[in-house]
Amino acid sequence: MQDIYLTGGAMTVFGRHLGVMAPELAQEAILKAIEDAGVRIEEIQAIYCANVLGGMILGQLIVRDLGFKGIPVYNVENACASGATGVHMARHALLAQQYDTVLVFGIEQLTALGGGTIPLQRNDHKTELYASAGMVLPAVYAMRGTRFLHERSASPADLAAIAVKNRHHGSLNEFALQRTAVTLDEVLGSRMIADPLTLLQCCPSQVDGAAAVVVSTKPGRVRKQVRILSSVVVSGMRERADDDILDAEITARAAKQAYEQAGLGPTDVDVVELHDAFTIAELLYYEALGLAREGEAVSLLNSGATRLGGRVPVNPSGGLLAKGHPLGATGVAQMVEIMWQLQDRAGARQAQKAKIGLTQCTGGGIAGVDHAASSVHLLGV
Amino acid sequence: MDRLYPLWSDVASPALLASRDRRTGELVFPAVAKDSPLVSLHETAEIAGTGEVYSFTVIHPGRKSGEAPYALGFVDFPGPVRIFGRLQGPSRPAIGSKYRARPDEQFGYVFEAAQP
Repeated sequence: MQDIYLTGGAMTVFGRHLGVMAPELAQEAILKAIEDAGVRIEEIQAIYCANVLGGMILGQLIVRDLGFKGIPVYNVENACASGATGVHMARHALLAQQYDTVLVFGIEQLTALGGGTIPLQRNDHKTELYASAGMVLPAVYAMRGTRFLHERSASPADLAAIAVKNRHHGSLNEFALQRTAVTLDEVLGSRMIADPLTLLQCCPSQVDGAAAVVVSTKPGRVRKQVRILSSVVVSGMRERADDDILDAEITARAAKQAYEQAGLGPTDVDVVELHDAFTIAELLYYEALGLAREGEAVSLLNSGATRLGGRVPVNPSGGLLAKGHPLGATGVAQMVEIMWQLQDRAGARQAQKAKIGLTQCTGGGIAGVDHAASSVHLLGV
Repeated sequence: MDRLYPLWSDVASPALLASRDRRTGELVFPAVAKDSPLVSLHETAEIAGTGEVYSFTVIHPGRKSGEAPYALGFVDFPGPVRIFGRLQGPSRPAIGSKYRARPDEQFGYVFEAAQP
């Protein structure tokens, strides 16, 4: 199969970019990614813009003044998996030999919403009914947390330890929104949001950011080659009455396909960026991604293996918890982080000797499915 | 609220309504909407009796909202069918505790702790 490369990448600081319009925010990431790849604007043959809440034809708006000569712009929306879906679709087009080199960027401006949890997609009787009763994403994850504590004989401190780890990682990342390391007591003592999840166990809701990558069939000219070894997007299947909410089935399915596509297994992975929108999510994804066997997520965390310096650092960027989660940008930013990790460009948060990296993100926001979308990519040098 | 699907049976002691897929026997809640092209593949079914809490959370709204904490959860009913909703009764529910549905003007239904 044709090799596909990430030849360049960049992101803005994830932060509160108040008063900044979408073009200025996204263009910063786009121009830096193009420069990073060492290509000219004229070499980009198509553009994929990932965004959730920014309105129609956002991609064309953002690139209007950048000198592209009328090339195709595809606007991609798949909730929090939008960015990863954009890369997935770009890879398809490259494999189909439609293009040689394309640009994928993601952007979101959540400060424009004024804070609070992301609203569900209510154009559906079930979601409307459940949302009216109070279903929001923090509640969904909190119910997973409650069940986890019940079934696994785990403690709230086991959940909180994820926030301590990732917020420590975020303190080392100049692109992260929240750069303050926290203690277990501070996490557990922060305001309760959705029991058992306290404030510091939830990704911050007020954040803006953009990230961009250049994806090509041609190896990069500037740096160590990063190949996309596998790329998977799957959809959630309708929940059944006896579903186990601790089984992140959609992500396990995506991961299985991604490992098979790459001819790799979980033990080959050196560094991971995963969708820790809430602390419980990271523990469930350890098992779904095969990093831990079923029932052993807390043991893996407590072993230190997923901390920087451990066997397989997870969320060295600080993850969604500390770096922030501007929805459409997240999947692309995860790839930028893994690209930097594989190229030894991650500074104070550098994982040691990383050759294979994994990104995972999920898109939710409707009732009746585990998640709507899940995407797993394996990258390698 | 006018709904395009039946939520409660129209009898003296109403029951929540679901749709049963004629092909698989699976219950779907809420019931399939009257204008759905799938309606002919389903038949209406009552959700009877009490259910057990599968999982729950207690939401703590921000101080500015002035709202008191409230409990939400998934309740497993005979059928089987799992339904999400407000849990009324103890301020902190417990997994496995029994709840039954009752009509509610604001939410359409809520789950009320069943007396032991």
